[in-house]
Amino acid sequence: MRLFEYEAKEIFRKFGIPVPKGLTVRSPEEAASAIKKIGLPVAVKAQVLVGGRGKAGGIKFADSLEEAVKETEEIINSRIGGYTVKSVLIEEKLGAGHDYYLGVTVDQASGSPIVMFSTEGGVDVEEIIKERPKSIVSRKVSTQRVFFEFEARSMCKQLGLRGSALIKVSSILHRLYKVFDKCDALTAEINPLIMTKKGGFYAADAKIEIDDDSLFRQTDLNIEPEARVEDEMKAEAMRIGLSYVRLDGDIGVIGSGAGLTMATIDLIKDFGGKPANFLEMGGGINEQLMFGAVKLLLQDKLLKALFINLYGGINPMVLAAKGIVKAFKELKPQIPVLVKLVGNEQEKAWEILESAGIPVFKSIRTEEAVEKLMKLVGER
Amino acid sequence: MCILVNENTKVIVQGITGSVGSIQTKLMLEYGTKIVAGVTPGKGGVTVHSVPVYDTVEEAVAETGADTSILLVPAPFAKDAAIEAIDFGINLIVAIPEHIPVHDTMQMVEYAKNKGAKIIGPTTPGIICPGKTKIGIMPAKVFSEGNVGMISRSGTLLYEIAGNLSLAGVSQSSCLGIGADPVVGMNMSEVLKLFEEDEHTKLIVIVGEIGGTQEEEASNFIKKMKKPVIAYVAGRSAPPGQRMGHAGAIILGERGTAKSKMDALKEAGVEVAYRPSDIASIAKKYAK
Repeated sequence: MRLFEYEAKEIFRKFGIPVPKGLTVRSPEEAASAIKKIGLPVAVKAQVLVGGRGKAGGIKFADSLEEAVKETEEIINSRIGGYTVKSVLIEEKLGAGHDYYLGVTVDQASGSPIVMFSTEGGVDVEEIIKERPKSIVSRKVSTQRVFFEFEARSMCKQLGLRGSALIKVSSILHRLYKVFDKCDALTAEINPLIMTKKGGFYAADAKIEIDDDSLFRQTDLNIEPEARVEDEMKAEAMRIGLSYVRLDGDIGVIGSGAGLTMATIDLIKDFGGKPANFLEMGGGINEQLMFGAVKLLLQDKLLKALFINLYGGINPMVLAAKGIVKAFKELKPQIPVLVKLVGNEQEKAWEILESAGIPVFKSIRTEEAVEKLMKLVGER
Repeated sequence: MCILVNENTKVIVQGITGSVGSIQTKLMLEYGTKIVAGVTPGKGGVTVHSVPVYDTVEEAVAETGADTSILLVPAPFAKDAAIEAIDFGINLIVAIPEHIPVHDTMQMVEYAKNKGAKIIGPTTPGIICPGKTKIGIMPAKVFSEGNVGMISRSGTLLYEIAGNLSLAGVSQSSCLGIGADPVVGMNMSEVLKLFEEDEHTKLIVIVGEIGGTQEEEASNFIKKMKKPVIAYVAGRSAPPGQRMGHAGAIILGERGTAKSKMDALKEAGVEVAYRPSDIASIAKKYAK
């Protein structure tokens, strides 16, 4: 889960990483009083959870109070990268200077954290790696040990930093690793870190992505993941513990296991249908969760059909079947619904479904089930 | 025969007294898996399906000589359980839980590497050597004993494709899920190497999915292999930037697309199936 820039900068402050003076506001009035505290000139920055906001007009600079208030007014409630801007960060404007890139992320191939430093910040890191590989250094870190400050110094020195710049930047890089480590981050990035004409260093931007699976212990962050999702259906799915992705079609899909569910939406497309969603049950199916999943998707009144594709490995199929029966009895779906259910206790589960009048597809082949489903849709 | 495990592998279940631990222990015992002990701190002295339960891995290993463990503990306790197992002589850990924090997994995986132990997973259905042993949560009936090795990033899609193979009369030597998280223990290439060396395995099936670069890296290894490899990759229609259920199943920018994986595999000489059931018909060609 990605944090807003202002949240990431709050964490940076706690870890001693210098950030520009700034305040988060939600209206032009709040902006005016913030500017009085911060002083002019200012940067007005849209707080959105997507990259590329600069190009989309989400970052403006203002030399006067009137200008800053006007920019805030224009940015708030505008749409950037598919998201509505709800808050704006008003920050002291840093003078032009040199831009650096500092980042820590998870290197999937080696399974270890990787620290990166470049003397060419302000652009996408992928671009630096591709276009100017000599201006970036990286170092994998052992999780059985920590990342020491001398290692940060060695990285900065490799790219020619000297004197107080060497000490200041490596100290920030070292602190950034601590942020990554202590906050269970998947990525912690400063891009750019600006060296001002006076020789000060500031994190002009801040990106932190927290591992969703660590939120149970990252309680200091005080974050509600559902609250940052605009799509109501997705937020509701998260609340009941399901993994949902909206697609643009009209055939509802519920699957157990991400791989099978992905294969199912691929197949629906192959057979000429348009999946409405990806909905994956995970490994903790019970009657209530299954009922909740069916109920969630049936809220979509444009749905033409619903396909439920389940395997009983770790998931109890009898409880899944009971949940589906409950949904049928209470919600009485008026569209074709096909259930394919295989695995442990399949016979018992089939019996429960069939005695409630719900058609069950008993073959293991998802292709055949999807073909049948598309036929049912075509017949209507 | 089997890779990594066999019919004599002695297994402990960490988390045996939990509801999932207990049910899955019963299913593994029914399959013939030699489950010799369970471990749940604070529950030492009880039995679960006649399996003795200990408070510590140290006692369980001392009493039984087990060298393999299946983790069925809640995700927040997985790191502690894995490192305890490694410290007391377990050299293969099957890490079933999903939602283990990535930072914990990085520590577990590096610790195991340093100590010469192997981790399958996390977020894996486990490993099955049909007819011999099942150390995992997969439904046994879709698998059958034969000479096709299977490596999957997904659980249920492994069941679907193994089931398709079995129906077509193409049976399996060993099947395992390498895990669906961004960081996993054994990777695809390491498992491919074991299948390449396994006399009994004649053909290898890869079940891939979007996200990460496992399939692309495996393609480099496949170029050096003698045995035929075939593959299916899920997620052709997945939108970029969205996590598709699994923590590791996400297309970032241009990285991790199904196309990138299918292209890399094809370039390495792998026949790539367009639909899951096509794997069975392709495998049949090689079985002749």
